[in-house]
Amino acid sequence: MASGHEQHEAGHHGPRTLPASLNSPEILSAWRKRALIVFAVSAVISLAFLALPFGKAHILRAYLLGFMICFSFFGGGLVMLMLQYVSGGKWGMLLRRPLEAMTRTYWLVVAMVVPIGIFAGHLYQWWAFPNSEATAKAFAAGLMTKEQQLTANAKHAMLNPTAAIIQTLVIFGILGLITYLLNKWSLERDADPARNTPASYDKWRVRFENLSGPCIFVYVVLLTDAALLWIMSLDVTWYSSIWGLKFLVGQGYAVLALSILTVILLSKVEPMKTLLRTTEQHDLGKFIFAFVMLNIYLTFAEFLIIWSGNVPDEIPWYLARIRGGWWVICTADFVCHWLIPFCLLLSRNLKRDKKRLSAVVMFMLFARCVDMFWIIEPNFHDAASRFSSEGLSVLAYVTVPLAVISAWAYYFFYQLAQRPLVNINDPHLAEMLEPEHAH
Amino acid sequence: MPPREGIYGLMAEFNTPTELVEATEAARAAGYRRMECYTPYPVEEAAEALHFHETRVPLLCLLGGVMGVTTAFLMETWINVWGYPLNIAGRPLWSWPAFIIPAYEWTILFAGLSAAFGMIALNGLPQLYHPVLNAPNFRNGATTDKFFLCLEAHDPKFSIIETRAFLETFPAVSVVEVDH
Repeated sequence: MASGHEQHEAGHHGPRTLPASLNSPEILSAWRKRALIVFAVSAVISLAFLALPFGKAHILRAYLLGFMICFSFFGGGLVMLMLQYVSGGKWGMLLRRPLEAMTRTYWLVVAMVVPIGIFAGHLYQWWAFPNSEATAKAFAAGLMTKEQQLTANAKHAMLNPTAAIIQTLVIFGILGLITYLLNKWSLERDADPARNTPASYDKWRVRFENLSGPCIFVYVVLLTDAALLWIMSLDVTWYSSIWGLKFLVGQGYAVLALSILTVILLSKVEPMKTLLRTTEQHDLGKFIFAFVMLNIYLTFAEFLIIWSGNVPDEIPWYLARIRGGWWVICTADFVCHWLIPFCLLLSRNLKRDKKRLSAVVMFMLFARCVDMFWIIEPNFHDAASRFSSEGLSVLAYVTVPLAVISAWAYYFFYQLAQRPLVNINDPHLAEMLEPEHAH
Repeated sequence: MPPREGIYGLMAEFNTPTELVEATEAARAAGYRRMECYTPYPVEEAAEALHFHETRVPLLCLLGGVMGVTTAFLMETWINVWGYPLNIAGRPLWSWPAFIIPAYEWTILFAGLSAAFGMIALNGLPQLYHPVLNAPNFRNGATTDKFFLCLEAHDPKFSIIETRAFLETFPAVSVVEVDH
């Protein structure tokens, strides 16, 4: 019971006072500078990979990985924001402004999807060969197998460039609207002339709930489409009905890790120093532990069902991720994404300790990238042999995602600095200042 | 076992949970470790002041879980490979992915049971007799509206005179000796 406990003792016998300023602290500008330096360095190194004979393809694939992680932060932040509005609770109150900042990275994430659209022909077979004539030619030229040709034709209605652009526009259009409303109302809520009255509390609570409830459902549908379109269709022959849900849980995993890290790092200074109690930190630790469990549950369930079925249509997806050197990545994914966070987060004391919990969530963010790498990269049949012949190229999957994520982080810190770190017109605020109870 | 004789501890009675928690924290700070709070309803701060969370229940739970996963996995291995080998869709006899779900369920079962029974055992239950029930004010107040702190005599720091003086520095309603 190291630092977490001391903090508990300090705030033990009576209510704390709300810090005079709830504005974002100055350290955010220092973080922004650091993110910019990381971006610059990793972007320059990434460009060096262009010199490799196959560098462009590696950069593109690694970019898709980075984009999906940033999309997880944006989309996952949005769904977590809606979730805390419908569930209530002090944990949600604590994360609200960081989550809002994640959703306000909307325009950056929209801009990030553009390069994928431009170079989609190098990633997706269905984009490169968009009709049955083209697939027939590709088959004749040996660029597609018979199965790929036939499934690409069968899935043509959803998987063709026009449909893909429309789907992407619809996804971002609806998510943008939800983001806009939630962020706008959050400011209006604090500016309400009748604030801190039960009537005002109820009015805003009901308004947020009515938007968030249905929109969580809408989000799950849109995310399923996005995950199918951007990732699953990299292998045009494969399908799995749990796919969207797996990405949803992965987003919860990533967003909670990032949120916990953000509030713990912010708690070095006011106002988060007062607002982050050990109680809520412990709750968040338990919450992310649930996502660690749910994630392995879905991932393993998907594997077990496909393994049991042993159907030639489905099995190759796993064979491509286990054989041919991928066993190393598969094992690393299992160990980093589940085993290590699971074992560590079992500990109550760790969840209550700021230093150790922040180290674990940082590791979990890294593990998300390993998982995404394992999902994306084996889709490309040449990948394994490229890595063995050009060992250096694997580094592109470190530097490119790092560049993309640090660019996102820069914008996230900027957005985080735009608003006070806590909603004031919310009855939970008073509860967060109450003395702590142990669990 | 022969009946134990002598003093079990000194018990202070408080009217409010706040006084109880303050006294408990002060007692811990003064070096007392063998002590217990008795309250009519759960008082989380009292548990925290006693450092009650540092128990062995998590360890027992973990050991139970490890035992569950090992037992189930080895049992399934034995059944499928040696006990009753069956050819199921041409798969290898040792098809470990199929063993995971039962092993997982046994982990939960064993961990849950170890936590529950371990907690009961560590609490010294079932227990038909407890010395604090000898104190009349305890019998009357412990389940209704009084809060008690008992500093036990087997604490190395315990001294009948000094401990009594220590407890009397708090706004206790009474400080009574509790016999075995």
